[in-house]
Amino acid sequence: MIQLQNVTRIFPNGVRALDNVSLTIDPGDFVFLVGPSGAGKSTFLRMLFREDLPTEGKVFVDGKEISSMPESRVPYLRRNLGIVLQDFQLLKTRTVAENVAFGLRVIGASSSIISSRVQEALEQVGLSHKRRMFPTELSGGEQQRVCIARAIVNNPLILITDEPTGNLDPIISQEIMQLFLEINSRGTTVIMATHNHNLVNKLRKRVVALVDGRIIKDEAGGTYAYE
Amino acid sequence: MSMANLSFFFSEAAVNLRRSGITAMVTLFTIAISLVLMGAFLLATMNLESFLQQMQAEALVTAYLKPQVGLSDAKALRLRLTSLEEIENIELITPEQAAAELFSSSDDQQLLQIGITPDSNPLPATLRIKVKPGMRLTPLLERLKTEDEIDNISYGEDLFRQFQGISDLLWTASLVIVIFLGLASLFIVYNTVRLTFFMRREEIVIMKLVGATNWFVRGPFIVEGLIQGITGALISILFLFASYRFILAKLALFTPFFVTDIGLDQFFKLAVKLFMMGTILGISGSLLSLRDISRYSKSVPEGV
Repeated sequence: MIQLQNVTRIFPNGVRALDNVSLTIDPGDFVFLVGPSGAGKSTFLRMLFREDLPTEGKVFVDGKEISSMPESRVPYLRRNLGIVLQDFQLLKTRTVAENVAFGLRVIGASSSIISSRVQEALEQVGLSHKRRMFPTELSGGEQQRVCIARAIVNNPLILITDEPTGNLDPIISQEIMQLFLEINSRGTTVIMATHNHNLVNKLRKRVVALVDGRIIKDEAGGTYAYE
Repeated sequence: MSMANLSFFFSEAAVNLRRSGITAMVTLFTIAISLVLMGAFLLATMNLESFLQQMQAEALVTAYLKPQVGLSDAKALRLRLTSLEEIENIELITPEQAAAELFSSSDDQQLLQIGITPDSNPLPATLRIKVKPGMRLTPLLERLKTEDEIDNISYGEDLFRQFQGISDLLWTASLVIVIFLGLASLFIVYNTVRLTFFMRREEIVIMKLVGATNWFVRGPFIVEGLIQGITGALISILFLFASYRFILAKLALFTPFFVTDIGLDQFFKLAVKLFMMGTILGISGSLLSLRDISRYSKSVPEGV
């Protein structure tokens, strides 16, 4: 499903964010990406949705080499991906339903499809009763759930998520994590960068640890520890 | 492009225009004012051109025939030229008639001094040609010059040349003004769209994250530019039309001999030009400011 071959990313300021990283993630996997701040986790994730390009090496997603993909094909790659970031990135002037619908509007889906898919996604995240509310009227956990609904509304093959529980308290974090597990159980590959020791240790999924841009641990059923 | 996309572009554009309120109004009125100024110059030029054409059409061209041309040849030439489409009618003035006209209008003594007497008449036969209204003079003059029998042509060329000079100057000035104001409006539309683009950057980042193509992101902005361009053009056309009718009515009172009206069909042509200019201004301003959209629509700035 995802393959990185000797990927190195050196920023213009000389920082080596990723250093010869090679990794394969199979369909349906649930992978935690751990490591200290500045280890290259976000750069790793951004490579997967072509928000960044490797200086060296190749990135494959769903069998396609995306690092050499023309810019015009990138939107079509992203339509098969769900992306959830730490800062909720919701449009404050739009309702919950409109925010979720956004992912379908941009691909030109018809109103009837948008309506049914949005309802389905909101039900999955348990927010269908708040569909007419605005993001500012929701709690942090609820806002993140709206982001998740928007990410899954297209039934993506892969869910990429960067610190989704970073701004949330432990109980809400557990709820959010439960959602990701449910999504994963339906066959979606989930890759999550996180600093949340408890969740990683509790769930015992595959753990990839990055330090200074290098993979120092890749362990199935692993724990957070990487020192 | 699907209907769903188009309806999304229009609804987004309408919402954004409402949200950006004053900025959108400033752009709209900038386009309108520029188009009014451009239109005013074009209108003035068109009027002068129309006046010039009228003057040309009313001009009486006098063709002086060579002295050796006999009356029968002159009549044959008159007959030949009458068939030309530019000519309304031709009057043949024999040397005797010309002399008679001279003697009836001028001081006999002065004529005698320059050697003209009723007995010795050096005047040539002439053709007084009346041109059909709306016909251009220059091609006719060129045609007349090809006739062997014609010695010289007179058509009030000094005045004609003066007006032609003014008309040429005004066309050049109009062209410069259209280009200058066009670029100025383009710059303003460019900046306004740029400003709106940065105001809505968060939205664009999200659009790109969920798989919107660059053209999809540009869509609402282009529609916004289109709406502003078209509305600005319509305002300018209405304003110009009302002002033009008003000024014409006022001019008719003070200088009735000078006033020309280009007519509704010409005004319609001008309106179409202004409409096209407004549309092009709106769309191209938006397109220009969104050409490097990919650079500004990343979720995280490069190098972080």
